[in-house]
This record gives sequence, C-alpha cells and structure tokens, in this order.
Amino acid sequence: MTAEVLKYTREQVESLELAPGTERGNLEGWVPELASEDELRDVLEKALDYRGDVTLTLKSGEKIEAFIFNRHTGATLADSWVMYFTPTAADRRKVSYADIARLEFSGKDRAAGKHWEDWVKAYNERKAAGEKNIALVPEKLD
Amino acid sequence: MWTVSTYVLKKKLTGAKRYPLVLMLEPLFRCNLACAGCGKVQYPPHILKKQLTPEECFRAIDECGAPMVSLPGGEPLLHPQIVEIVNGLIARKKYIYLCTNALELKRRLPEFTPSKYLTFSVHLDGEREHHDYSVCREGGWDIAVEGIKEAVKRGFRVTTNATFFDGTDPNSVRSFFDQVMGMGVEGIVLSPGYSYEKAPDQNRFLGRARVRRLFRAILSNRKPSWKFNMSPLFLEFLMGDRNYDCIPWGMPAYNIFGWQRPCYLLQEGYADSYKELLESTKWEDYGVPSGNPKCANCMVSCGYEAPAVIDGFTTLKGFFAMVRGNFSRYQDDHALKLLNEPMPHGPASLVQIEKPSSELEETRA
Repeated sequence: MTAEVLKYTREQVESLELAPGTERGNLEGWVPELASEDELRDVLEKALDYRGDVTLTLKSGEKIEAFIFNRHTGATLADSWVMYFTPTAADRRKVSYADIARLEFSGKDRAAGKHWEDWVKAYNERKAAGEKNIALVPEKLD
Repeated sequence: MWTVSTYVLKKKLTGAKRYPLVLMLEPLFRCNLACAGCGKVQYPPHILKKQLTPEECFRAIDECGAPMVSLPGGEPLLHPQIVEIVNGLIARKKYIYLCTNALELKRRLPEFTPSKYLTFSVHLDGEREHHDYSVCREGGWDIAVEGIKEAVKRGFRVTTNATFFDGTDPNSVRSFFDQVMGMGVEGIVLSPGYSYEKAPDQNRFLGRARVRRLFRAILSNRKPSWKFNMSPLFLEFLMGDRNYDCIPWGMPAYNIFGWQRPCYLLQEGYADSYKELLESTKWEDYGVPSGNPKCANCMVSCGYEAPAVIDGFTTLKGFFAMVRGNFSRYQDDHALKLLNEPMPHGPASLVQIEKPSSELEETRA
C-alpha cells in the first residue's frame, strides 16, 4: 500500500507494519496557471498545505505576502475565502477567492530538504572529525 | 482522577455527546530543538515569532471547559509570559501538563510555584544516546535530566514523555523506565510517533501492527517500580488488548491559528471557537472507520486516550479493567521471549515474531 490510496479498510490499517510517509512535491518558486475556477481551488488547497509564504496578486493589482492557514470553500468563488497572516501585521486577514488573480509559491518551503539520513550522515562525519556537542539547531528567526 | 471521573460522569448524566477532556493549548510554535521526527514547527519566521497572549489562552480554556490542559508547542518555556499563563490556569483549577524539552527548565524553575495542578512533562525519548539522537542534539539528555532532578528537588510534579519510532529497542526502553523512575518522577508517558506530513523524516513511522508488537514487548512483565501517567486501558490499546475508535474532539488543539481541525495532528483548517469546531467539522471523515489514509497509522493519545478514559469511568466493565490494570504486571512469557531475541539491524530493527494468524493476534502470547 502507498500513501496514495484513497481509503483503507480496517483490516489493512490493523496489519500495517510501517506507515507510508508523504511524498512531497516541490512547490517552492512555482507560479501555477489559474485559468479555471477548479485550478484556482486546487492551487489554494496546495497553498493551505504549504509551509512557506506565498505571494497573492489581487485583481486590484495589490500584492500580498501571506502565510495561508485556513480556508472556507463555498459554492462560488465569491463565497470562498482564505485566511492568512502577513509578515508585517499582527492580525489575521481574509481574502475572497474571487479577488485572486495570481499566486506564487514565493517563500521558502520550511518543511523541505531536511531528512533523517542527512542528520545521521552529518552526525557520523562530525563525530569522526572529533567534534563535541553535535546538534541540529533551529534556523534563525531574523 | 477524582476531578476527571466526576467530570466524565457529569457529561454522561447530562447526555453530552461530544466534550473535551484535555485542551492541547499550543502557546507558540517556536522551539529550541530541530528534531527530525517533528512536524510541528516548520513555519516561516514571522509565524514562529507569534504567540498566544495569556488572555487568548484563558478564553480558550474557559470556552471549552476541559478539566486538564496540556501545554505543548514549540517549546512553552520560550514563551515570555508562560508563568502568567500557568498561574492563570492554576487559578482556574485546571490540571496542567507543561510539555518541555527541559533545555530551559532549570533556569526558569524559580519563576514557578509547586502546585498539585502543575506537572512538568519532560520530553525524553529513551536512554541518553537514543534521546540525543532522536532530538538531534548531543548533550540534550544531560540538560533535561538536570532539569528533572532540580524540579523534583524543588517539590514539583514531574513526568517524562517519550515518542517511539521504528527501530526502537524494547530492552533499552525498559532500562530507560528504570532510569527515569530512579530520578523521582511521578510517572511515564509514552506514544508511538505519528506520521506528520511535514516531518523531515518520513521513513520511520510505525504501522499499527508494529506498534502493538513493540508496546507488547515494552509494557508486558512490568516492574513494580514503573508508574505510567496514562490510562491503563489506553496502554492496553497500544499493546493490542483492546480496540477503540478515535475521538478527536476529546483532546482539541488551540493555537495562534484558532481551533485546529480535526485534531492536534492533522491540519485541515481552523475554527474560530470550540463550538464551531464541534458543529462544523465532518467527524465522520476521520478515524479508522472512515478509511482516511491520514488516520491509518495513528494510535496517539490525543485521539485514543479520551475513549479509554471515558470507557474506564462510564462502564462497569471498563472501570474494573482500569482498576485491574493499575495493579497488574501484565505477565506474558511470549513477550518476555521477545525481549531475549537478538535485535535485527537496520532502520526497521524491531523484534520479529511469527506471522499473525488473525487480526491483532500477533501481539498475544
């Protein structure tokens, strides 16, 4: 079984030895086509799942750098919205799907590029070189 | 226990269908570790700099009314107002589990006051080498243990919490239990790792069959000195002795984005209130009966401990099983044999036993 199956039976779930991990697409830098309503909806679902900022260009021409964390999908684009934080404001904001003209996955994907194997390899190399207090450290916030 | 049992019974008597037992209150996502198994803290810097105010924390607990609050994160001790948050929750007579990696614990302990309502739940993923490897920081264990000892000395309630992934050595875990109980902690909390989509490491998440074998090996033939700060029925669930269905609304999560839908682990949007979360989440889309692949390997306490607790306090059968579980050592010769078998090598190095003859059968003696 892979993570791509749509549904598991209880029997399949109970017999799983290892849980399939998630295959990640590389979205960073992507500027998707938003030619149809379905494409826009699909891209905004991906943006919701993305662990980086995106840049929204509104039909008014305004550009918004946003971390999208919530959405409501209504029957029409006008009834649907995404909720986001920007790097410069404290409050949560909303924008209607109907107002979005362009979306770019502009920010760094914070969930990409770090693997257990990389840590193990780096650890072994640094240990062999005699290094002490080996650690991965969180990225700087500024 | 009294507080929880009366709370659950009151809910049953009033006919409440869905209610919270523990609020998972994440005051921030910022952390001072960069663990490979963690899928919680991969956010842009401006999100990591945000944090809940004490007032937002109090509004969340006042709204949902859970008798217990878990403060995970991120690392809660990095929140500059964490003492104010804790004191406000204590004033509301909430039982608090402050989940910390303890890197800052010793330094910040003087700011806290011991209370029966406050427990420091220190993240330790096994013996020294295992823990340091797991949290990707050499020396992490020593700092955490120093914090635990200081907290115990100052009269605080302390537990440890451990997450286990594929490759865990059950013998080492059992030695770890001896070590932490020797430090004077009240009890141990343990969990299989959940397959977070955003975790850097996607290759070591245990499936259910393997979880049951691992926990059967670890938790059978218990030593009298071991104490677990978890429902005995939930531990039996991990060992494969009983089955529950997930109730994600039992341990709802609140953070800077709002009330997380549907649970602490999955991130499929947010609600503005607990009421909205309850009323507008499609609960039937989650849990094993739904067939949702995202729920397939989950045996984590935030979904499965609440039904175990409710079972223990609302049914006679569950109550007697809970009492028995508190005193049983779970003697199991087959599990003992598992411990004496050599460990296979490699990333999937768990004990291998005979092929299961039926569902759940592989864990039984």
